[in-house]
Amino acid sequence: MTQRRKILIVVLLAAALVWPFVGGQYGTSLMTQIFIFGMLALSADLLLGHAGLFSLCHAAFFSVAAYTTAILQVRYQVPTELAAPAGILMGTSLGLLFGLSVRTRGVYFILVTLAMGYVIWGIGYRWASFTGGDSGVTNVPAPSVGGFTLSTMLEYYYFVLAVMLLVMYVYHRLIRSPFGLTLRGIKSGEARMRSLGFSPPRHLYTAFIVSSFMASLAGVLYAYFNKFVNPVSASLHVSFEAVLMALVGGTATILGPFIGAGIILGLRNWVSSFFELHLAVMGLVFIIVVTWAPDGVIGLLKRFIDRRKAGANHG
Amino acid sequence: MNSFILQTFNGISYAALLFLLASGFTLTFGLMRIVNMAHGAYYLFGGYVGLTIAKLTGNFGLALLAGGLAAMLLGYVSDRTVLRRVGDDHLAQVLITVGIAYIVGDVSLKIWGGDAQKLPLPLFLRGVIELPGGIVYPTFRIFLTAIGIGVGVLLWLIYRRTQIGAAIRAGVDDREMVSATGIHVDRLFVIISALASFLAGVSGVLGGAFLTVFPGAEWEILVFALVVVIVGGLGSLEGAMIGALIVGLLDAYGRWLAPELSYFVLFGPMAVLLLFRPRGLFGSANMT
Amino acid sequence: MADLALSIQQVSKVFGGIRAVDGVSLDVTQGERRVMIGPNGAGKTTLFHCVSGAHQASAGSIRLFGEDITQLPEHQRTLKGMGRTFQISSVFVDLTAMENVQLAVLGVRPTKWSPWRPVEEQPGVSERALEKLELVGLAGKANVGVKQMSYGERRQLELALALVNEPKLLLLDEPCAGLSPAERQRLFKLIQNLPRSLTMLMIEHDMDVALGLADRITVLHRGQVILEGSVDEVRVNPQVREVYFGQV
Repeated sequence: MTQRRKILIVVLLAAALVWPFVGGQYGTSLMTQIFIFGMLALSADLLLGHAGLFSLCHAAFFSVAAYTTAILQVRYQVPTELAAPAGILMGTSLGLLFGLSVRTRGVYFILVTLAMGYVIWGIGYRWASFTGGDSGVTNVPAPSVGGFTLSTMLEYYYFVLAVMLLVMYVYHRLIRSPFGLTLRGIKSGEARMRSLGFSPPRHLYTAFIVSSFMASLAGVLYAYFNKFVNPVSASLHVSFEAVLMALVGGTATILGPFIGAGIILGLRNWVSSFFELHLAVMGLVFIIVVTWAPDGVIGLLKRFIDRRKAGANHG
Repeated sequence: MNSFILQTFNGISYAALLFLLASGFTLTFGLMRIVNMAHGAYYLFGGYVGLTIAKLTGNFGLALLAGGLAAMLLGYVSDRTVLRRVGDDHLAQVLITVGIAYIVGDVSLKIWGGDAQKLPLPLFLRGVIELPGGIVYPTFRIFLTAIGIGVGVLLWLIYRRTQIGAAIRAGVDDREMVSATGIHVDRLFVIISALASFLAGVSGVLGGAFLTVFPGAEWEILVFALVVVIVGGLGSLEGAMIGALIVGLLDAYGRWLAPELSYFVLFGPMAVLLLFRPRGLFGSANMT
Repeated sequence: MADLALSIQQVSKVFGGIRAVDGVSLDVTQGERRVMIGPNGAGKTTLFHCVSGAHQASAGSIRLFGEDITQLPEHQRTLKGMGRTFQISSVFVDLTAMENVQLAVLGVRPTKWSPWRPVEEQPGVSERALEKLELVGLAGKANVGVKQMSYGERRQLELALALVNEPKLLLLDEPCAGLSPAERQRLFKLIQNLPRSLTMLMIEHDMDVALGLADRITVLHRGQVILEGSVDEVRVNPQVREVYFGQV
């Protein structure tokens, strides 16, 4: 790892540790949200940036995991040490089912995942007797394992930060491993991969499951953060935004989805404070990013740095 | 038994609505390889404009026309300004058209408000008709089904029996070859695009008459139309017809038998398709 | 009868109404270098696809070293010792040369599933990849993205991908197509110097290359074998001349 990268990591880490004292209650809450949705975006980017699959159903895993944990804790008084893993398990199981979608490619894959994701939203919305319908599940208690409870926003922030760092590390190893290279090979030339001895459907299915696991983890964290889960968590908007965040920050990177989450959530919070049509603004962001900055922030930075290097060489 | 027949009719009338929307989407994709998620927004916008016109003039036919034209205009503007630039990149197409849909949805919310509104119907379309067998059925749904069948037949005739239809079919099969033969591909694209968005707008007015127009309707109808297209196969007109029928019927039966879990029935055909025929009933293998 | 590396029996491939390959039978002995020639559209590449598994043959059987592989999916045929290059460059353009060959190495190993240790640290992978890059003369460009490589270099990479796992049967589809004379010479020498234990079936359009490398030649026309024989036999055959030069 280069010196520059090490310095960057240390600086970012320090900033994250100090943030609550700079941002206050509101800033801490916002940043926790950014961490959580960044993880959701990262899970979608495993498929998008590395395997070339544009999935629009990630909100489903996120939401199912959140609902499972919330319902278990609120309605059945199941303790956190069981409710949280159960949530992750449910979300990942859904991933096992939805993974059928990797039998399609390209446009079909996009449409199938979109429809699947929507069905989960629909079920969450209509099955009111179980999910609470529009009102959702409220009063999710603070997570508590053993005697240890994360009762304050501050404590939860550091917990989520720790989980996020762990996820980033594991993800980093995954994408540099043979499994990660295989995904990139499939994205670059699936037919060629077959002639080299790979069976792409198996790898894609596995990647899909890993991706749903990550999204489920984010969902469980969300349930305890928000203390409230409703069908909106499964909506198309969440799935669209997850992809947009990865795109805005820079796909096929680790920091990209988090940068994107920061920009999108920050923008939404800022805009909605003075302008009603914030969804329209989001729509505009979609159009602008895709048209003019498809490589995202990290892509723009890279181009900027490369241009400066070229300039320095000529000077 | 009566319930079953009733639900079957419900399914068929909903299928008619879905077909109107799905046919445009599938032909747009088949010919231009463009995934247009704003179709739902065209439906919504058309529906709202139709609503306003119907309330102002009391003329349903005018409302239909206005809705269709409004959607067509919207489609044309989106096409010319942003959609042109992205070419074949499906990711970009989806995100841009979603962005357009967000903008249209939000602006519509501002203009028409958040309540579900029903389009006022002319007298002759209200009420019920008595069918043989003693079944009483809403007149409007029969009217809708008739339109769906009519448009379907018309489209099919054009598609299968005219020169322009042959050009479209050839284009769906092999775009490059068609442009090489000198047929004005660009003009064809504009025509298909316009037709698709017009149909979407008209279906919005029709949908608004019995389902109401409301914020969020654009996504619900879009997803159903997408399932139709997935099941039927992208680019296939016949697929849109059969797919619409399957989805419409399943939805009706689902709502009747298990209303809370009725969205689940959308899974069924999709899962079966994915297991046995991922490209849809009439889809060709080279569609992605 | 010497051991057959490849035995193709009455293989046909039908697309819609077109018989691209029509009842082709072909036997290649171990260590032999067989070249297939024929005008465009003769069915050579389609036959290759049937052998490698990219297409499923409509009829007939294919045996690799005595084993029936007709129903075997493409990726499993590679695991049985088949390597191939493609007529149209099909290397991974979004990756570096090194990553390309690393993938080829991993393709036949269970370590392709390894999720933790980076590719560079996997024992044997990078070493073997580098070896093959050296063989084809691309060692200096290991970390260069394929997008920055010339067409000739991509063809060299293509060959490296096919060779890296020491296949027993090598299928080469017009390896020299689109290359400059100098590049063509270079690749020709490379192929010529491959070990004799490696069985080769090659499609080639360039008569000089074909005649220079072949032990035996099979001539294909309109999906059928019209002649098979030694280089000299084929060179003087009037039918071949007509098929190649008689057509307008």
